[in-house]
Amino acid sequence: MGQRRDVVITGLGVLSPIGIGVPWLYEHVRENRSGIRVWEAPEFGIRLPAGRIEQDFAGEFTKLELPYLDRCSQLAVLAARQAAEDAGISQFGNFGQRAGLYFGSVGGGVKVEHDWVQEFHVQRKRAAKPYTIMACMLNSAPAQISIRQQILGPVMTHSSACTSSGSAIGDAYRAIRDGYLDVAIAGGAEACLIPTFTALWTGLRALAEPDPVDVGRSCRPFDKNRSGLVLGEGAVFFVLEAHECAKRRGAEAYARMSGYGIASDGYHIGSPKSEGQIACLQAALDDAGLKAADIDYLNAHATATPGGDPVEARAINAVLADVPVSSTKAIHGHLLGAASALELAIAVLAVNRSFLPATAHLDEIDPACVLNHIARTPVFERPLRNAMSLSAGFGGTNVALVVSADAGMPTKSGLDVQSDV
Amino acid sequence: MTNELETQRVKAMVVDFLVERFELPRERLLGETPLRELGLDSIMMLDVMLDVEDRLGVKLRDLAMPANPKIDDIAALVERNLASAK
Repeated sequence: MGQRRDVVITGLGVLSPIGIGVPWLYEHVRENRSGIRVWEAPEFGIRLPAGRIEQDFAGEFTKLELPYLDRCSQLAVLAARQAAEDAGISQFGNFGQRAGLYFGSVGGGVKVEHDWVQEFHVQRKRAAKPYTIMACMLNSAPAQISIRQQILGPVMTHSSACTSSGSAIGDAYRAIRDGYLDVAIAGGAEACLIPTFTALWTGLRALAEPDPVDVGRSCRPFDKNRSGLVLGEGAVFFVLEAHECAKRRGAEAYARMSGYGIASDGYHIGSPKSEGQIACLQAALDDAGLKAADIDYLNAHATATPGGDPVEARAINAVLADVPVSSTKAIHGHLLGAASALELAIAVLAVNRSFLPATAHLDEIDPACVLNHIARTPVFERPLRNAMSLSAGFGGTNVALVVSADAGMPTKSGLDVQSDV
Repeated sequence: MTNELETQRVKAMVVDFLVERFELPRERLLGETPLRELGLDSIMMLDVMLDVEDRLGVKLRDLAMPANPKIDDIAALVERNLASAK
């Protein structure tokens, strides 16, 4: 391995329940405004709180494109385009094989796939449309992005449950840092709000009920009265770039990507273990060359399940005791394959805008989840040197990512909604 | 039905399908227009063939087409298959 190169974040693209576009994401997090709404499928008796994006994006594509594009791919293509535009890179083809794409998702084109299964079993069709396989395969979205953005190097798909986009971003960071690539689009997408998919979670008894007073308060990480996770949808992508390349083309950066840790529990397919999370947090610190005292904020995984939050609290206390912690899932829900990417984006904004995002609705802290909580209200005008994001997935994969303020180049600003035309 | 009438019928059916399904401009769907120019790739072309099968109630066994087919080529393919089925 050669010399480590600095990696900077020069672009961000966001389609989320709390904002389409970075300025809107920033505004929602700053104001702690919930994007959790009621999602219903009355014909199946389903009524759930969900981090749902109200817009239908089909109109962004032609009728010839749409058969290939599950909603997951639509979200991904649009968010990746937003990130590329934000970075000021109109075509990645000029980078040849030194541009990569790293994508994470759990379900990929799950709606197209489940619709086809229904056609097979109920309508007794015996051959799918010729494009169906290309719309539902897990690498459909990254392939569509690579075709549109002319990304000619590695186009990789990560699927490690809730850490999918985290490991995608981490591996993209490593590839640039270690000299294999100069630039990468990295992130994830999920569009799982379909009855057959949400019912998988209902079977686990893992989902929160809609809050009877305010559905926006249904997801309550670390709270004594939490009742489960709230599913969400969206796509979030970063443009990661070697510092020298970004500087050469006069780009600005949100922050520097400075550390990546990945570790597995080796324990249980559906139950997390603190030791795996501890190993991953420690690995990220080591990779960044930092100590716990250097971390000014952690965006926790904290899905608001009764079992998961205390396991994570133990891990955080073991490695990052006293570090300010919040779980922003309280306002955007759990985006599964896009969760790590969205939560890292929020950590990036925290560093870039000097504030500590809060855990909304954290009224009564669970005694099993005692941490240095940023509860209910964000803390402003708090310069952050380094921030972390932690994710833990079914199957036992854990990912932690570190971002740092010292990008060594001009900092991106203009994140107010008013400045977003 | 004469061959000419059959050709016209198949062409009209394909054009209708392309207009309905993909909102392609009817005025551009001339017999000589390469379908790739209209944005139809080989997989969408196959979808058109499958739709023709459904509408005519036949199985198209010979799906060989030129590299850059036109609507005329689709019509010729359908006729070829219909003839061999008789």
